[in-house]
Amino acid sequence: MTASQDIYPQTPNLAHDVDQLERSWRHPRGIFGWFSYTTHQAIGMRYIITAFIMLLAGGVEALLMRTQLMHANNGFLSADRYNELFTTHGTTMMFLFAVPMMEGMAIYLVPLMCGTRNVAFPRLNAFGYWIFVVGVLFLYWGVFTNAAPDMGWFAYPPLSGPQFTPGKRTDYWAQMITFTEVSALCVASELIVTISKMRAPGMSLNRMPLYVWSILTQSFMVIFAMPAIVLASSYLLSDRTVATHFVNPAEGGDPLLYQHIFWFFGHPEVYIIFIPALGFVSAIVVAHARREIVGYTAMVLSQIANGFIAFGLWVHHMFATDLPQIGAAYFTASSMMIAITSGVQIFCWIATLWSGRPRLTTALHFVYGFIAIFVLGGLSGVVLASIPLDLQVHDTFFVVAHFHYVLIGGAVFPLFGAFYHWFPKMTGRMMNERLGRLNFWVLFIGFNLTFFPMHILGLKGMPRRVYTYSPEMGWDQLNFLATVGAWVIAVGGLLFIANVLWSRKKGAIAGNNPWDADSLEWAAASPPPNYNFEYLPAVTSRYPLWVPGADRTFVTGTRSDRREVLVTTLMDAEPHHRYILPGPSIWPLVAGICVSIGFVGSVFNAWYVTWGAIISGLALIAWFWPKRPLEPADE
Amino acid sequence: MSEVRTLDVSGLKQYEISNQAPLWWGQLMIVFIEGTMFAILIAAYFYTRLRMDVWPPPGDQYPHLLLPSVALIPLVLSCLGTYWAGDSAKKNDRAGMLGGLGLNLVLAGIALAMRIVEWHSLNFNWMTDIQGSYVWAFLGLHTFDYIGDLVFTAVLFVLIAIGRYGPKQRQGVYVDSVVWYFLVAIWIPIYVVIYWGPVIVGTQQ
Repeated sequence: MTASQDIYPQTPNLAHDVDQLERSWRHPRGIFGWFSYTTHQAIGMRYIITAFIMLLAGGVEALLMRTQLMHANNGFLSADRYNELFTTHGTTMMFLFAVPMMEGMAIYLVPLMCGTRNVAFPRLNAFGYWIFVVGVLFLYWGVFTNAAPDMGWFAYPPLSGPQFTPGKRTDYWAQMITFTEVSALCVASELIVTISKMRAPGMSLNRMPLYVWSILTQSFMVIFAMPAIVLASSYLLSDRTVATHFVNPAEGGDPLLYQHIFWFFGHPEVYIIFIPALGFVSAIVVAHARREIVGYTAMVLSQIANGFIAFGLWVHHMFATDLPQIGAAYFTASSMMIAITSGVQIFCWIATLWSGRPRLTTALHFVYGFIAIFVLGGLSGVVLASIPLDLQVHDTFFVVAHFHYVLIGGAVFPLFGAFYHWFPKMTGRMMNERLGRLNFWVLFIGFNLTFFPMHILGLKGMPRRVYTYSPEMGWDQLNFLATVGAWVIAVGGLLFIANVLWSRKKGAIAGNNPWDADSLEWAAASPPPNYNFEYLPAVTSRYPLWVPGADRTFVTGTRSDRREVLVTTLMDAEPHHRYILPGPSIWPLVAGICVSIGFVGSVFNAWYVTWGAIISGLALIAWFWPKRPLEPADE
Repeated sequence: MSEVRTLDVSGLKQYEISNQAPLWWGQLMIVFIEGTMFAILIAAYFYTRLRMDVWPPPGDQYPHLLLPSVALIPLVLSCLGTYWAGDSAKKNDRAGMLGGLGLNLVLAGIALAMRIVEWHSLNFNWMTDIQGSYVWAFLGLHTFDYIGDLVFTAVLFVLIAIGRYGPKQRQGVYVDSVVWYFLVAIWIPIYVVIYWGPVIVGTQQ
């Protein structure tokens, strides 16, 4: 069946369908019910809020560190506490803020943009969230019981091994990684399937919004990168708990292997954070420049190329090890290559803005801020890709400056832009634009004040991860500037929170499509009901909401008395069959708790792997046990 | 709502037992994830081998080849049971599903039993040295998945046997095969690495 031959004018019974949809998509009541939610808006929002709290935690840790470094020989923090803070800061920001935040946004936005009602596996989605929450609690339980990790966020052995870091802190860290891996893999799997099989009829791959492309690329990267960190953290954990020798040089193991495997994950990880941010930028640029993107195909191809190249760069994190020159030279070349694919995208955005009719909204301010900061970070990246220069500034503040420019510039600025762009969709109210612009400038100035001096500090030789320095080094003034900047960033963060709190109550009512944007999420009500759309949309254009209203098409014939969606084909999104999504369930939480018992327990006693597997298996069987009446009935 | 252009899909099937089903794609993701993990583990094995002068490390026996090689036969044949069950699930043939799942369980069980017997003949464990760590990592990870899949195959067998199934459970029977084919297929390179590895890339023989 093809979409075109079955399109005909009809007058659907809207009131009846909406009433039934409301009933079949209603959330269960009570506390027990709250733990059973499976809608993507609820789970996505939980991810976003939890990850935002983690951003605040990581931010407070950064403020404490910056306060310590404010002047020479400061006694605000002890050396040990400082080690714990920089490790927890890096770990929190990478694993508990950045990745889950990007996932939360994708869980919220992708089903809306694809024109469907939920993700492909709603209960897996809930399960992934609970696992992530336990990971957060586990790490911070360690932090508050004086067992915070203190070996740096990449936990190189032998420092992180049993000989040099006795006690449980490294084990907590390694197992927290396991929690976040499982969660990320759940989300990646369900998003790939949602994007591949549940797009609106007519949304062929070449009509897919660039944000959805970015999430597809990112999810595949998660699938291929996370197994590496599974191995790296398991190597470390099993060496520490059951005396294996994977990274133990005394018995033939190899610490460098850990570095290889860690960075085979670790480098793609950066792009896992940053590619969705490029998707935000594309969505914001199109909506706020009010024109179609320039170079759609080039954008998609360079985004995917970014994803591939990301797996061929990892050794540039290891230039200071005794690798063969020829190997290192290859990684210099591949590292510089990433500038090409990133450059293509930057030029496409600039061209779109140049030739469009940009509205200078707060969201677009953040895009401009992103371009400025990210290009600077990219330039210091090209510098670092060169081996002699890298050896000179390795492990100095120059590197710290570089990766904060690319990560905050490349991911956090677009993220704030995305908050301003999609807040009306998520809450039904506009954010305050005047406060938003103030928010942007405070963050932009604070950011540059904090991190620009670090370039110079690094060139002057200040190593990262030192808790203090002596006055004769001459690093005082720049450090003081950076500390002032950090506090300015904090003010910017508070302005954002104030804006959110104020706008939620007092913001102007947004309506469905306040920006007159192009993609399907703006066709839903603000905030979207649990079922997203009264009638699933069908699309005929890359910019479905910019098509004249009379030419828009809706899908009828999916049942509204149960959670039914449409499955379409991979390439052309032709309708294929109907699919009943599972409803609310407590079992994802129960299974999550059982898996967590296994993970947490195994830090203390390896037998918990077995016990955890048994109870998790039982929980999964209960989860899948068919409840009567069986749906769908046989035809 | 006034008259609008509509696309009526009420004629489409309510479910699908084929590679068009989202659940089938979900299984494919598991295959990608675990395949990547085993690929990296195999690469790490050879990386470690290259950095050692003597392989296997002194004191480790060469693994026996007979039993693991014979165990491949029931393992590969178990895929026939899986295929039979999946095919019967499409046709809603209850006897076929039971026969296929049963055959799969029996043959996979025999292969597992042979693997466990073989474990007891190894004179090293994961604590002994680096080779021990790798061999047991392969064995542990693969066997964990293997038993997990067997348990779920058994659950499906019970559901079909007691008649508590509909299209969704038949779909389960069908997609279960994706992971099973993968576990059998990935075992072959793992088998080569852990049993033949010392012979092929070892320092003696």
